[in-house]
Amino acid sequence: MLELYHSEPNIYSLKPLIALNEAGAPYTSRYFDPTSFEQHSEGFPRNVESGLHLEREGPILVDGATVLSSSFFILEYIAEAFPAANLLPGDAYEHYRARAWGQFTALQLSPGVCALGCARYLAPVLKSRDPNQLKARLERIEPAERRAAWVAVIDGSYDEKTLAGVRERLAMPVRRFESALARTSWLAGSAYSVADIDAFAMLSPLPDLAPELVSASVTPRIVQFLHRMRERPAVQQALAVARTARPQEAFVPGAEPSRWG
Amino acid sequence: MLTLYHWEPNANSGKPMLALAEKGVEYESHYLDLLNFDQHKPEYLRINPDGTIPALVHEEKILTESTPMMEYIDERFEGPPLRPTDPKERWRMRWWMRFFDSYFAPSLSMIGWSVFVGPAVRNRDRAELEAAIERIPLESRRIAWRKAMFNEFSQAELAESRRRAAFGTDVLERHLTTHPWIAGSSFSLGDINGFNLGYALPLSQPDRCNDEKTPHILEWLRKIYERPATQATWAKGRTQMASRVSVLQRKS
Repeated sequence: MLELYHSEPNIYSLKPLIALNEAGAPYTSRYFDPTSFEQHSEGFPRNVESGLHLEREGPILVDGATVLSSSFFILEYIAEAFPAANLLPGDAYEHYRARAWGQFTALQLSPGVCALGCARYLAPVLKSRDPNQLKARLERIEPAERRAAWVAVIDGSYDEKTLAGVRERLAMPVRRFESALARTSWLAGSAYSVADIDAFAMLSPLPDLAPELVSASVTPRIVQFLHRMRERPAVQQALAVARTARPQEAFVPGAEPSRWG
Repeated sequence: MLTLYHWEPNANSGKPMLALAEKGVEYESHYLDLLNFDQHKPEYLRINPDGTIPALVHEEKILTESTPMMEYIDERFEGPPLRPTDPKERWRMRWWMRFFDSYFAPSLSMIGWSVFVGPAVRNRDRAELEAAIERIPLESRRIAWRKAMFNEFSQAELAESRRRAAFGTDVLERHLTTHPWIAGSSFSLGDINGFNLGYALPLSQPDRCNDEKTPHILEWLRKIYERPATQATWAKGRTQMASRVSVLQRKS
């Protein structure tokens, strides 16, 4: 039996929830609250890869003795372990496109989306905690990159100037999604794939976080795509696992932006 | 018709070159001189408007992302499989390729660009270099080239890159202690990817990567170096950068 360690159905955690429902794969839900730092505690499933975890805060899929991390590669794993669901359809070129979109979403889109979401929603949550206890907890996070990403949420790193730069850098990926969706209904080509699940989870918060970048008037194709996704039963089932009133406000620091600028 | 636009057998260009050689697939080779900014010239921007290399053109389709490109090559062509069949090993292959591509390689390349690429072009005319930067389509690449050309990497970011290069080396050594190949039990695209970023580690990180401290990395690199496909691919190199691979020659 698969076990999925996930938090609220938003950003990274939303992806495998959708894919497992699409595949009709039975799984045990292991829900955690990332702001309680369970994911860094003893007893949380861990291996070398999840310990380094470039995406930092889950989700984790456990299949027998194997601990799988990094959300797009979890999606590919589900697609390959449950081929009947046809989550990676088409020919080799469409598979290439799905994987290239997965890489693009991870490296070009997600860091900015998470920065905006953390600044607006995670920062106030952390700032409501006892500052000394929080500081002591954050200091124990390993490795250094992971600790730095959490500290940045509360130490003033996300000032107005930084966030303006983040919005500016999001314009390019948003433009590329919009023009791709003008050519085909789904990102990899004519059929729905893991690339759509992956992109949906990261594009979905943008009408709220950056309406100047994503809205019915400036990016009609992206907005139609988000509607099309929300009509899918698997997406509705995934969103229904929420335990808070506003799952769309659940953010974690996520992947870091490119260090090359 | 299969055409590959590439630079030296190194980093991203070397990934599809070595994958194609392992598969035994012939291709038309277009060498672009990165240091002459061939990749930003109009004739190449018609192939890849982003001006990044490599690019693979096959059956009128253009592929420009080197890691997914390798999976395409493995899936689309006959020849020995370069991906494991077990989904768990495939997951591990992909995880490590991302670790190489987005954590380890950028740190090594920042060091490499500061000591190799920058000095190689810096003595040219400043106005010519500025004009070359203006022709780069992607802002992120403009920033990278500007830093390399004019030696604008900060001490803090170079120090962080050195820290990550050292950390990546340690993590890779530990991984290869328990796995003979990156994905697990068999040679795969993960090893091709890792070799391209790491073949010169014994030269660039001599204090960290050597027979005493990282015996598993050295043995892994030498095993890949000795493969006929690797020999044939690195023989296509035209600069001293590619010839660094000979550091992996075993002493008889």
